[in-house]
Amino acid sequence: MKQTEGKIGIREYVAIILLTVGTKLSDDTPTLLYSTAKNSAWISMLLIGILAIVPMLSLIKVVSVHRDKNLHELNLHLFGKVLGNILSLGMLLLGLSALILDSATYVNIVSTIYFTKTPSIAIYAIIMIVCGYGAKKGIEQIGSAAWITLFYLKTTLALALILSFTKGNLKFIFPLWGPGTKEIVKTAASKISILADFYYIGIIAPVVSTFKEFKKGTLIAFSVVVVEITIAIIIYVMLFDFTSIEVISYPFHEAILYISIGFLKNVESIFLPFWLIASFIRFAFYLYLVLVLFGAIFKIKEYEYLIPVMVVLIVFLGVAPKNVTYTIPYLREQLLTIISPIFFILPCLMWLIAKIRGDFKNEAKKVL
Amino acid sequence: LFRLLKKLTGRKQKLKRVNIKDTLDNQANQKNQSVSNNIDKNIELVKKIYQFPNNRDVKFREFRVGGTGLRIAIFFISSITDVRTVEDSAIKPLIQANDTDVKIKEIISTQNVTTMLDIKDVVTNINTGNAVLFLDNSSMAYAFECANFQGRAVEKADNEVLIKGSKEAFTEKVIVNLSLIRKRIKNESLMSESVTISKRSKNEVFMLYIRNVANDQLVGNIRKRLESLDVDAIQSLSLLEQYIEERSLSLFPSILYTERPDRAASFIEDGHIVLLMDNSPDALILPATFWSFFHTPEEHYLRFIFGNFVRLIRATAMFITIFISAIYIAVTSFHAEMIPPDLLLAIAGSREKVPFPVFFEILLMEAAFELIREAGLRVPNPMGPTIGIVGALILGQAAVEANIISPIVIIVVALSGLTIFTISDISLNFALRIIRFFFILAAGLFGIVGMTSLFAVGIFYLVSLKSFGVPYLAPMTPNYVSSGDTIFRRVLKNEKFRPGYLKPADLKKKSDGAVK
Repeated sequence: MKQTEGKIGIREYVAIILLTVGTKLSDDTPTLLYSTAKNSAWISMLLIGILAIVPMLSLIKVVSVHRDKNLHELNLHLFGKVLGNILSLGMLLLGLSALILDSATYVNIVSTIYFTKTPSIAIYAIIMIVCGYGAKKGIEQIGSAAWITLFYLKTTLALALILSFTKGNLKFIFPLWGPGTKEIVKTAASKISILADFYYIGIIAPVVSTFKEFKKGTLIAFSVVVVEITIAIIIYVMLFDFTSIEVISYPFHEAILYISIGFLKNVESIFLPFWLIASFIRFAFYLYLVLVLFGAIFKIKEYEYLIPVMVVLIVFLGVAPKNVTYTIPYLREQLLTIISPIFFILPCLMWLIAKIRGDFKNEAKKVL
Repeated sequence: LFRLLKKLTGRKQKLKRVNIKDTLDNQANQKNQSVSNNIDKNIELVKKIYQFPNNRDVKFREFRVGGTGLRIAIFFISSITDVRTVEDSAIKPLIQANDTDVKIKEIISTQNVTTMLDIKDVVTNINTGNAVLFLDNSSMAYAFECANFQGRAVEKADNEVLIKGSKEAFTEKVIVNLSLIRKRIKNESLMSESVTISKRSKNEVFMLYIRNVANDQLVGNIRKRLESLDVDAIQSLSLLEQYIEERSLSLFPSILYTERPDRAASFIEDGHIVLLMDNSPDALILPATFWSFFHTPEEHYLRFIFGNFVRLIRATAMFITIFISAIYIAVTSFHAEMIPPDLLLAIAGSREKVPFPVFFEILLMEAAFELIREAGLRVPNPMGPTIGIVGALILGQAAVEANIISPIVIIVVALSGLTIFTISDISLNFALRIIRFFFILAAGLFGIVGMTSLFAVGIFYLVSLKSFGVPYLAPMTPNYVSSGDTIFRRVLKNEKFRPGYLKPADLKKKSDGAVK
């Protein structure tokens, strides 16, 4: 049970994933699914969950024989120096774009729903400064912060979802197959990258105290997250029905605008702080991942000094697009469509190469 | 780099300006000799060191031993020595001795007599209240224990008040404090090492721990830190705390300060280290976690449910203290839609005639409250009630009637001011009081987003803190084997482990169910 310096335990690890991936149910991710899969989006989500098991398990398998290597070192090891660096660089670019687009979405949520008069660059700056501070503190602190707040964040989320459920109408999820099985599968295939975070966690794989905890934690967090998002998607449909849900950008926030608790008619500001804390931890973690990857590729050991630069870069790129409400979801959808095949194929490819190189056999010998 | 350069140049300038003359060195040189064979020489030297007879309470008496007729000289400081003991156990038997062939040690009837060869030791003994004897034709000096420093008796704890549990508090005499702890831990492994931490005043710190429970590395680390101090004088533990703490500029304390021996004893039993010192009616406990500041011993003295009920109230109070004023500002100026209409109208109605924005109104009242609090603390006893009445009357009633603030603000500020008193630890109390103002500022600037941002930064900061290598929020995160005593406590029988973050030599403190 002793913890070594710079490592995180299984609790912190699971908490991080639950907050980073779980928060996706509160942004425009569900809307992306609704736009093609309509009221059967939840089946697509389940399908995504089932499909994503393949790359995830391959990654875990590859990590199992290279326990002290992070994702970049794995890339170098498996694909060689040149190709490995190119791959990592590509991952870095995709990760950074995802970070920028996601954070822009969150800023857009705050500035369109809660703070309509405040300039969005101010909100963006505050959020990113807080995240930069968190990223500077390091993975242990992000993990600890995630674990401390996890219970309260998930409780309030559950409360919001339960209240929405009581207001919803179960009949809205029918017809079960919605636009048809073909559409559902297509949506799942093109949006599988919703769970691409499970590829990026390979970066912190060596930081988790033992491989066993990494494996166990990943599987626990994965199943919880898939179930969580699926339930949320069902509840949104029950609340809004499929025609209106397609035009709602942020269903979670619409839902908390819709519900009330007893004598409190407008409760969205009660849920706002909890959601914000989850977002802070999420982007602090993303920022940390991007920085670690950046530091690994360009061999910068003290990556903390990059934080101010990175924060400024993200803020300016994030506020650059005009007409955020339309541009960002469009760009995000494009990005997800690009990442989807990569996320599915790359881990499998890594596993295949490791197999051909005979890494697994060597490991088996070592164990014997 | 720039800052470093500035620091260096700044330091040099300071050194130049200050006239450095090390008088401590002279003082040390003077007494760096051995006891002479000639009694007159010794008397001369000690008289010179103490500037006898200008130094009025230094006493000196010369006489001859009864039987042998040897010359003998005795030195002591009357204000810190029990003069009766000196007379009855030393001077009288020496003068009345008949035997010609008896040793000094056999005549003196105190509990122990030590012999010394150096003047340095002679001076140390005199300074600590012992009497020293010089004998003619002997290069040895004799000291016998008869120290008697003045101090008060054991009294009730004033600041950490409990309903159920022991009422004793530490006093200014370290021997009494040690006795209070030994009374609770009757174990030969309880160590009370002493370390001298200052050079001129020779202040002594007692380090208490249980040898086969506390982590050796931790003990060594703290001993080293105490020994490495290079200071002329450290009068009390509250000053020492600031010398050995890790982050002097942080809002959050890293050493626990208590005036209750029962609390200190229970921490020692868990593998912590306790520091005691003369002149300090308190003890320092280290390492300390956030939870130890949040707890009081009463929650363990009360039964499981009652204790946890108190904890729940305290957690709520802590939340109210930090956030209530900020929430009021944020909600009324940024999120008015979340207030039920009736209440909103009531607030608007009461604020109708108030000329200030909510932010300013709250700040005004909070500042007034802090003023009353500080004034109430410093005011001489007979005037205490006056301040209370004036404060409550003027700042409450009159301010509302004068339309300077609205009545609701008074409720809000009174709540935030009152609830802070549930935190009995003075350091955490101060930290929360100051943090409250940060939240008010954040709420005034960005409403709930501002508050949440500050809160997130606070969480990131809190989890990164360490007190002597122990994470501040342990055992909640990172996780350690422990009794899980964080916000709530477990049933006492199930609290069977010492805190794992201290890496104690013996982790288990009771068997399952606390029975054989």
